[in-house]
This record gives sequence, structure tokens and C-alpha cells, in this order.
Amino acid sequence: MSPTILVVEDDARIRAALRMALEEEGHSVVEAASGEDALEAFRREPATVVLVDLMLPGMSGYDLCRELRHTSDVPIIIVTARSDTHDVVAGLEAGADDYVTKPFVVKELAARIRSALRRARRPGPDSTTEHFEFGNLEIRPEAGEVRVAGELAQLTKTEFRLLCELAAHAGMVLSREQLLERVWGYDYFGDGRLVDAHVRRLRTKIEPNPAEPDHLVTVRGLGYKLQG
Amino acid sequence: MTPESVAPGRRRRQGLRLRVTLVFALGGLLVTTVLATATYGLTSRYLVRQRQHTAEQQAYVDARVVRDALSLPGTSDATASLGALELPSGSLAVLSFHGRWYGSGVATGRELLPAQLIDDVVRGQPARQRIEVRGTRYIAMGVPIPAVKAAYFELVPFVELDRTLVVIRNSLLGAAAVTTLGAIIVGLWATRRVLRPLSDASTAAARIAAGDLSTRLDGSSDPDLAPLALAFNDMVDALSQRIDRDARFVSDVSHELRSPLTTLATAVQVLQARREELPERSRLALDLVVDEIARFQHVVDELLELSRADAGVEQLADEPVRLGELVLQAASRLNGGPMVVEIDPLVASKPILADKRRLERVLANLFDNARTHGEGLAAIRVTHRGDTARIEVDDNGPGVPVEQRTAVFERFYRGAASGRRGNDSGAGLGLALVTEHVAAHGGRVWVDDRDDGPGARFVVEIPWRPA
Repeated sequence: MSPTILVVEDDARIRAALRMALEEEGHSVVEAASGEDALEAFRREPATVVLVDLMLPGMSGYDLCRELRHTSDVPIIIVTARSDTHDVVAGLEAGADDYVTKPFVVKELAARIRSALRRARRPGPDSTTEHFEFGNLEIRPEAGEVRVAGELAQLTKTEFRLLCELAAHAGMVLSREQLLERVWGYDYFGDGRLVDAHVRRLRTKIEPNPAEPDHLVTVRGLGYKLQG
Repeated sequence: MTPESVAPGRRRRQGLRLRVTLVFALGGLLVTTVLATATYGLTSRYLVRQRQHTAEQQAYVDARVVRDALSLPGTSDATASLGALELPSGSLAVLSFHGRWYGSGVATGRELLPAQLIDDVVRGQPARQRIEVRGTRYIAMGVPIPAVKAAYFELVPFVELDRTLVVIRNSLLGAAAVTTLGAIIVGLWATRRVLRPLSDASTAAARIAAGDLSTRLDGSSDPDLAPLALAFNDMVDALSQRIDRDARFVSDVSHELRSPLTTLATAVQVLQARREELPERSRLALDLVVDEIARFQHVVDELLELSRADAGVEQLADEPVRLGELVLQAASRLNGGPMVVEIDPLVASKPILADKRRLERVLANLFDNARTHGEGLAAIRVTHRGDTARIEVDDNGPGVPVEQRTAVFERFYRGAASGRRGNDSGAGLGLALVTEHVAAHGGRVWVDDRDDGPGARFVVEIPWRPA
């Protein structure tokens, strides 16, 4: 079955154009004109990827992301009319996996959707059956499980991929560019803020004190590394 | 505010200060002069009168003594009668008795007396006259003594009085000088005091002109100056509201344009995917639409970027950036002809603190400019000197004439090249954006001639801040 994309966009014309473009790429499309409609549609039929416009009447795009995250780890790509750092970062903090700015290039959007689908299908690094332990942090890539002090942590697919990538190179520093390439599969159109926002979100889930991380540490000027 | 317009203001302010101080000084001088003159005049007249009165009294007393001495029966020694007098030092007594003249001093003293005075007294009339003998002023007094047919004269010098008057005059002159000096000091102090709010206002105005719209005057310190501060602050408020409104307008318009643009761009890409199925004429029309939408999109992007830069809402992201890598990446995205890329090894190895996205925009816009106006990129050089990182972008064009080198960085600039802009996608905002982004880094950008041949060289310098 072809992947279903839930398109949440209040402008009917943009929705129609997006439907055409995405169907052209081989996806099936479900449309929603508001956040409330989107939640309803998602409950009826969970989509493979959700495309969320941040500027929605009623429930905002940010709130929709948070609502979806309560129940699902579905990849969310936010669509923003601005490329302001503030909007993008706020969207990513709300739980989105990636973003595109309006007006978008269909090919770029398609590439980001493909990347999201790849991450969703293949959570762990390919041939890893290893299992990692960093103090009280336990990662089981083959089972798709992360435990903190024995408790199961709720990670999205992207967060999980990011953590596995860092775990597979434990003690090594990975730059934002390397992480973008390995986790998102992007070369130059990636944005370091994607990595930063995901690292912040990951910390709130695996670190006892996210402000002073024990495991996922920043190496200033270079990138991030995972340690025991 | 340009430096040229500051200078006259300052000159005018000093002029006002000088004038006010001068008025203070002249006023002080005038008042003290009038006072001193009046004081001196009144005092000297009073003192002279006093002295004359005393001298008169003395003369009458002395005349009586002489008369008494001469009226003693059998006495005719006039000289002895004069000798009996107790004259103050410097005074002279002269006596005319029976047609002969006698004096208390060595000389007779008659020659000192004015003829008029002698005449009056001889005719039986007491008289008084001021005379001057060898630089000394005297009061000459004559008292007739009819009882013994004599005339008594007394000469009293003004020496002491003159000395007193000199002391008074000097004191008054000194006081006048001190007062005038005081007036100058008060004038300087008062003008500085009065003009301080003006200088505060001009400092504030200069800061506002430099872009710091949060500057306000403190109106609480002096109730007299509060209206000025209030009016000034109101003006700044109105100004900044207006600037905000203008910036918001551009931003709002661009945002409004984005929705239809998104529909257009997305729909036209669907058409493009089916381009081969279209007849020849429709294909040409589609290509035109695609190009124009791309151009439209570019303009809206640039406008939004510029309005964000103007609003100053976006802070500079201080992230570690490898300048060499950044330039190489940006260059690799170009598919132009042959070009030189030179990167200083130090720049390549050390990251600096900068805003990566903004620097990418700077490079993209400079490359774009070289492509559209400079007949292609010729060379890119990245170097590092002291605390400055430097990026040079050379092109193959005719170069930029000296008189246009500032103008090319202005918004919507369409210079001599406007005729050749057939394939250009921008609105003439690219270099203006470069200026904004470079300025946000605390750097500068300018255009020069290439030193190795014809063509323009755009130079970007930003501070070298090691990460």
C-alpha cells in the first residue's frame, strides 16, 4: 500500500496543489483544513507522515504537533511561511521531525518525506544487534527500546535513530553535518538546528537533568557525543 | 546623522555660549563701572567738602588768633603773630598787614595766592579758591581782619585727601575687575548648565540616527525641561512606531504573497512533471510561467529577509563555522565555468564564531551577482589577517565604476547594468542583503577593481572570533 500523507493546511488551493504534487510522487493524500480535523482524521486512519502548516486557525500547528506526540511517533514535517529561527525551533520543540518553508520546492518536500519514511521503517542502524549501556541508560536497537533506569522511554523514530547513531559511535564526537547525513540522509540542505532541537528533546527524555547532561554532551565547536 | 551635519550644530552651540558669556561679562563690567564711578564721585565730593569745611573753620580760628595777637596794644610784630599759630604740616599762612606781606614759611607765600582772591579779601570779602602749585592741590582761603586792617590767608594742601582718593579709586577698580571676572565665570557655568539638556538631546538624536530607537531623554530631573524631554520622547515613539509599521507592512505583504505563490509553485511543478506531454506552444508558455514564478519567489524571499533584518528581530547565531568548508560547499553548488578557489590553510582548519545561514546567504548572493552582472565568477579567496577574516569574490565583468561603488549596495539598485538584466531573478536586493548580513556580523563589504585584470572584486571582512 502506498504511504498516506496527512496534509494539514487551511488554504484550500494550497491543499489541492499539494495533493496533486504528492500524488504525482506516488503518495496517497488525506486532507485536513484544521488541527481539530487533522486529529479526527488521524484517529480514523493513522497516516505514515503528517505535513503540518504552523499557521492554522483555531488549534495552532504547534499544539497539533504536541497532541499527535501524545499518542504517536509518526514523522511530522512542519510547513512554515517563515524561516525565522524562532518559529522553526518552536515547531521542532513541539515534536516535529523536520521542516520546510513556504513556498517549497516539490522535489525538496518529496525528499524530506522520503527521508522521514526511511527513518520510520528502519529505526536502528542496519546490521546492529548490539545492545548499549551507558550507566543507567540502556539502548536495544533491535527491539526499538530505550530504558532509563529500567523505565521504558517514549522516543520518536527520529530521536531513536539519532540516539542509536550516537551510541554506535560511543565516546566519539559526531558533527551536526555528520548526524544530518546519517540520521536524516541530508547533505547540504540540512540545517544544524534540526540536530540541536532533537538533541534537546532527547535530553528531556533520557537525562535526569537535561540542563546538565551526563550522557549526551555538547562538544563546543564540534558536535555531540554520547558517553557513560 | 552624518558628521557634516553635526559640525555646524556644535559650532552654533559654542557661539551661543560665547555670546551669553559675553553679555554676562559686559553687564558685570557696566554695572560695576557705573557703581564705582558714582561711589567715587560721591565719596570724593564729600571728602573734599569735609576737608574744605575743616580748613575754613581752621582758617577762621587762625585768623582770630592773628587778630588777637595784632590787636594787643604796642604789638606790630606780624611774623611773631604767625609763629604763634599751630598749623598742620604742609599748610602755609600768609598775612598782609599794613601793606606788607608776611609768611609762615621760608618764602612769603604771596606769589602763590591768586590775584582774584587777594582782591576779594582786600575789599573785605572772605574768599576761597582751589589752586594747584607744583602738582599739589591746595585750598587757598582769605579772611579779612578789618579791626587791624589786615588780611589773613591760609593754604591747606590736599595731599592726604588725594592719597585717600587714590586708595578708594584703586579699590573700586579692583572690585570692578573681580566682578567682571565673576560674571564671566557665572556666564560660563550658567550656559553650560542651560545647554546641557541640549547637548543631551543632540547625543540622543545622534544615537537614534545610528539606529538605537530605545534611546529616550530623562525628563524627570528638571521640571522646566520636562516638556522638551516629553516632546522629544514622543517624537522618538512616533518615529519608531512608523518604522515598525513600515517594516511590518513589507513583512505582511510578503507573507500574504506567499500563500498564492505556494499554490502557483506547487501546481506549476505538477505541470512541469508532465511537460513532455504538452504541445510545443504550451511548453514554451509553461517555461515562461515557471521562470517568472521562480523570480517572483526570489523577490518575496529577499523582501522578507530584508524586512527581518530591518526589524532586527533575528539575533546573530554565534555558532562555530569553518569558513573554508562553507565557501567550498557554496562553490560546489555552482555550475559555472573554470574558477580559482584559494583558501588560507589556517582559515580551513580553525572554526570561527559566526552565523552560518547568513554567511551562506552572503556567499550565494555574491556568487549570484557575479553570475548575473559580472559575466561569471573568476576567483574566490579566503584569507585571514590579524583579527579579520576576509573573503574576496572576483568576476569577469567590466568592473564597477568608482561613482557606483556605494550605490550598488543600495536597495533596488538598477544601475547602468539594468539594460542587461533579462535573465536576472532578483529585485536588486541581493547586495543590500549582503550588506545587512555582513553588518550584523560587525563586518563590512565593498567593491574594488581586481588587481590581476579587468573585473570587479567584492570584499567581505568580518571579525575573526575563534570558536
